[in-house]
Amino acid sequence: MYGWIWRHLPGNAWLRAFISLAMVLVIVYVLFQYVFPWAEPLLPFNDVTVDQGMGTAVR
Amino acid sequence: MATGTDHEERTGRSGPPPARRGHGRVAAAISVFGELLITAGLLLALFVVYSLWWTNVMADREASKQGDNVRRDWAAATGPGALDTKGGIGFLHVPAMKNGEVLVEKGTDTDVLNHGVAGYYTDPVKATLPGTDKDGNFTLAAHRDGHGAKFHNIDKLKTGDPVVFETKDTWYVYKVFAELPETSKYNVDVLQPVPKESGAKKPGRYITLTTCTPVYTSKYRYIVWGELVRTEKVDAKRTPPAELR
Repeated sequence: MYGWIWRHLPGNAWLRAFISLAMVLVIVYVLFQYVFPWAEPLLPFNDVTVDQGMGTAVR
Repeated sequence: MATGTDHEERTGRSGPPPARRGHGRVAAAISVFGELLITAGLLLALFVVYSLWWTNVMADREASKQGDNVRRDWAAATGPGALDTKGGIGFLHVPAMKNGEVLVEKGTDTDVLNHGVAGYYTDPVKATLPGTDKDGNFTLAAHRDGHGAKFHNIDKLKTGDPVVFETKDTWYVYKVFAELPETSKYNVDVLQPVPKESGAKKPGRYITLTTCTPVYTSKYRYIVWGELVRTEKVDAKRTPPAELR
């Protein structure tokens, strides 16, 4: 998979390394900005209030 | 010449290549699977970095901006009159938690608490704000980890420790009198005006801090109760009460 991406990048090794780095940064940005904030409330790590449960589960 | 024989040699063996191609396909599938596993591992590691570090960075930035706004409003508002408290009603100081001041805002919804503040309950049991000068329970919630982690060190709070709430005009000094290190997340009775579980029997002016426990999870809730011992008027220089010095 990664090998396939590497082979399909243009240019020499330096250019490919640079493009790879840029791609990694873009992916991390998208994850931190959009994916994780969306996923976080769906995971049970960060509920801090006491409530009556089901009815008010959106906490 | 050499290449020619090489080529001939390869084409000469008609048997192995298909078998090797099949082999190669299995190997490729395994390697893609392995790379997917590595990717999943990296994703989870990144999520940990996000929730334990990045959310704190963002929330602290937001909370300090919001806190500055509130302080500016306080400085601008002179004399009595309705104060705009939408940005926050005051600051909580808990020396034992060693986390400076915590802005207190209305509500305990995720989008409020995620700004790195403590929220007072409006539901299921409405908090009684200290400023109303009535008996009741000033109930607060904040994050244990991530999003500012304002109540991270709640377990350092012990009976007798001061909890000070600062409003525009008054310091409210509370003393911790009971802790409940683990309770069900459905235990809303801890928020009652007279929280019986703390040992309180008669109406009084209580404060309740709630957050999740154990750290990094939300399986249970950690509760700390305090009772108002005195109030102090804020002077012109906003000199903090003895407990904070």
